[in-house]
Amino acid sequence: MNFGIDTYNLENGVPVIKLEGEVDVYTAPQLKQQMISLLESGTKQIVIDLTKVEYFDSTALGVLIGGLKRMRERDGNLSLICPNPRIRRVFEITGLDKVFDIYNSVDDARTGIELVS
Amino acid sequence: MEAHGEPAVVELKFPCKPEFVGVARLAILGVASRMKFSYDQVEDVRLAVGEACTTSVEWGAKNKRDETDITVRSTISDTKLTIDIFDQAGDRHESQKDEADQEPESLGALLITLLVDEVTVTPIDGGTHVKMVKYAG
Repeated sequence: MNFGIDTYNLENGVPVIKLEGEVDVYTAPQLKQQMISLLESGTKQIVIDLTKVEYFDSTALGVLIGGLKRMRERDGNLSLICPNPRIRRVFEITGLDKVFDIYNSVDDARTGIELVS
Repeated sequence: MEAHGEPAVVELKFPCKPEFVGVARLAILGVASRMKFSYDQVEDVRLAVGEACTTSVEWGAKNKRDETDITVRSTISDTKLTIDIFDQAGDRHESQKDEADQEPESLGALLITLLVDEVTVTPIDGGTHVKMVKYAG
């Protein structure tokens, strides 16, 4: 299965989960596990980078929605980086593009989060 | 792959487990990309089939019927692609959802409705039959 997941911190300390390949019913549990670890660390911001994602299904959307809900409960936020129009379309047709803050690049996300904070 | 006269049928049978949903997506990508579909339409079909198979896999896991098979039958004609998905994953009854996930199943159903031209979901003996139609052109 074509899938990769990596976590790193931006210069301002905000954690980024970088995904690659196909995020679906088989691989989304790894995203969920990674997100739970970050939630337990108490962070108030999480960024999910979907730049290199080739496929994103409803299971993965469900994990993101769950994560966003938990973050908002602690007055935090979960933002996305999604420059790929094909993946962005999944958010648009489900109306979730209005629920998530979606950026086109890591730089945009960094700026956006700083402006909000 | 234009089917003149009688529609051509391509059938794939695979285990009702998460790791095989990607196989079904690859197969339908091969079928749909050889028809008169745009790139976007091919992607729509791939996502719709992925969602339908994912729903089968999730019910299979809930009903402890993941040792069964899913069959994806693609019927190819000049004007449309008909995809029949049969599972033996048991009844799709309401059950308690994982609170961390926000009803991915209904999101999947929503996606399918938006991605294909026709969809029907029918209970069959031991499982469910999902029929989807995507018109070419």
